[in-house]
Amino acid sequence: MKNFIKNRDFILFSIIIFGVIVVGFANPYFVKPSSLSDVLTDTSILIILALSQMIVILIRAIDLSVASNLALSGMLISLLSTVYPELPVVFFILLSCVIGTFLGVLNGVSIAILKVPFIVTTLGTLSIYRGLIYFVSDGKQVYSHEFSENFLALIHYKFLSLSFLFWVAILVFIVMYILLNHTRFGRNLYSLGGNPDAAKYIGINENKYIILAYAISGFFAGLCGYLWVARYSVASTQIAIGFELTVISACVVGGISVMGGVGTVVGCTLGALLIGLIRNALPAVDISQFWQLAISGAIILIAIIINTKTEQRKDKTIMVE
Amino acid sequence: MVVCLYMKLELKKISKFFPGIKALQNVDFNLKQNSIHALLGENGAGKSTLVKILCGVYQPDEGSIYLDKQKHIISDPTSSLQLGISAIHQESVMFDELTVMENIFIGNHIVKKNKLVDWYAMEKKTKELLSNLEADIKPDEKIKDLSIAQRHIVQISRSLVHDADIVIMDEPTASLSQKEIEELYSIIRNLKKQNKSIIFISHKLDEVLEICDEFTVLRDGEVINTDLISNTNKDQLITNMAGREISQIFPKKHVIIEQEILKVKNLYKKTQFKNINFNLRKKEILGFYGLVGSGRTEVMKTIFGINKFDEGELTFKNSKLKIKTPKDAIKNGIVYLSEERQNLGMTGLMSVKDNINMAIMDKNSKYLILDKLKDLQNASELQEKLNIKVSYWSQLAQSLSGGNQQKTVIANGYQQNLKLLF
Repeated sequence: MKNFIKNRDFILFSIIIFGVIVVGFANPYFVKPSSLSDVLTDTSILIILALSQMIVILIRAIDLSVASNLALSGMLISLLSTVYPELPVVFFILLSCVIGTFLGVLNGVSIAILKVPFIVTTLGTLSIYRGLIYFVSDGKQVYSHEFSENFLALIHYKFLSLSFLFWVAILVFIVMYILLNHTRFGRNLYSLGGNPDAAKYIGINENKYIILAYAISGFFAGLCGYLWVARYSVASTQIAIGFELTVISACVVGGISVMGGVGTVVGCTLGALLIGLIRNALPAVDISQFWQLAISGAIILIAIIINTKTEQRKDKTIMVE
Repeated sequence: MVVCLYMKLELKKISKFFPGIKALQNVDFNLKQNSIHALLGENGAGKSTLVKILCGVYQPDEGSIYLDKQKHIISDPTSSLQLGISAIHQESVMFDELTVMENIFIGNHIVKKNKLVDWYAMEKKTKELLSNLEADIKPDEKIKDLSIAQRHIVQISRSLVHDADIVIMDEPTASLSQKEIEELYSIIRNLKKQNKSIIFISHKLDEVLEICDEFTVLRDGEVINTDLISNTNKDQLITNMAGREISQIFPKKHVIIEQEILKVKNLYKKTQFKNINFNLRKKEILGFYGLVGSGRTEVMKTIFGINKFDEGELTFKNSKLKIKTPKDAIKNGIVYLSEERQNLGMTGLMSVKDNINMAIMDKNSKYLILDKLKDLQNASELQEKLNIKVSYWSQLAQSLSGGNQQKTVIANGYQQNLKLLF
């Protein structure tokens, strides 16, 4: 099985490389280092959110409210920055994370303590958090000229010709990798998702882990709130609408089982990269908007079919002839 | 047989009530150090309830638990582990997708000074544990690739890591081969030498007599007898368990050999079984014996129409039988009781009544509308016939004990004009 997962990641990696080459033939401009770097920048937020969504999916849940959470945190700090433009950008980033974490904890408490099923809870907060944006902003946008300069400057910083955004994604990748593979917390998440009943017997506090998982998901949604607003220099009621589905697709394509307990950080990241590649490559080879959606959907379905097929093949053969 | 007299665990006057049913009543149970103590009783006698109380899953309604002469309240599974009680359960409490080494250390990972998990140390310790148990299992194998015997060994290793003083084994030999059972025995004896106390639950009295030092028999939630194994014999144990003389339990009946009802000829399915031939007569109970994985279940599922076979012939009541789906089988009066009754046999979240009637909804309904009264009549008739213990009709099937669940499944099958039962 270990080999299989490694294999799966390898297959995903090969598909990505293959895809880049094919698109490169159709449109040589696409494979120039600068545009590939743009693809990575464009995919960074997806990677971060997919990795945090993965934690929730590992324990057999889902967080549908991430995009609304992102938009609400982003709007709140944007509004604040128009009033207090002199505050340092680090303050806004931290504040965004704190707001996101708080919204995530609300999800977790509703699920763990109030026992509202996760799908109902996060579907509800998806609307509530989105609705709150209208409430706090009166439905108005914050335009790029309204942001202070230092609020937007950080995002354009480059190091080794890779964007600030992508470096953040790399940092999140490393943190998640260590968290899930090398801490008790991470390993307990796997066991809780793999067999919740058994996890109780070894004394894993399910409620605590649910709340923490949603808190982490919220934290990164908050972080991405700043990143999104700063990158596109705009905060509106409409930002990131429907993005939670892209995030969940990235996880599924990356081999995170919605049945819980299965999936790797590397796989999840590759899943996000593949989705990001598709989103960027299809326009580059002149495929219409309509087909872009259909193709993305088809790729997700194929990924799920491959997942189930490989699982079925693992059925033990009883008698070898 | 030297038995240390030190009382490791004492249960005093433990009672546990479930709605309408006394699961345990004034149960006293004493476990000595260095002792293998058999817990015996028929299905539903209260063994599992007692185990769950010790594991902190249930709280006793009355009575107290003394460990090393100190009174303790086992409020949850964590405190049970901390007190050094570790159980090897009938139901799977393993993590299929995780490796052997992780299953052993789960909830108890070795960490380095910087709080990161020390995979290297865990692998080393796992190898050491497994080689002490003389088990041929690799630390990085996934649990789902292991046999049942190997899983038991992993669970035993887990309790060793937790440094448990009391190890509870709930029917550990239930699906093991003779060789695996011997190996398990030597592991159990080894544990005993290391000053552990073991509670051993089994239905196989021969093995109880062979390996255990003491025994306690439960019947209907009460302690019937408790003594040293050396003071008893098989007949006495059976009498204790059933509350009747042995001859009454399985009265020998004169059997008239009836006509053949099912004939299976050369049944073959690639990679699963081949050359399956047997005949079944009317009013006959045919035992199928084989290890888990030997193909028993696969053959039965094939006859029932869940799986398809590649070659062979089935004759049922002198005519060739064509079963393509389980529905065909049911129509012919063939009923399959799954070994995984909780998954395949019933719907745990539905009431007992609904479960019993599930398969005959067609019959009990008029113009597509269920006749509720007929439903209830039917159910109570069968409940009496099969002696299912329920406190009320709408009780959820999953809250029944294992044996009573099984009966519910039989009842479900009973009314489908049953002619053949697996």
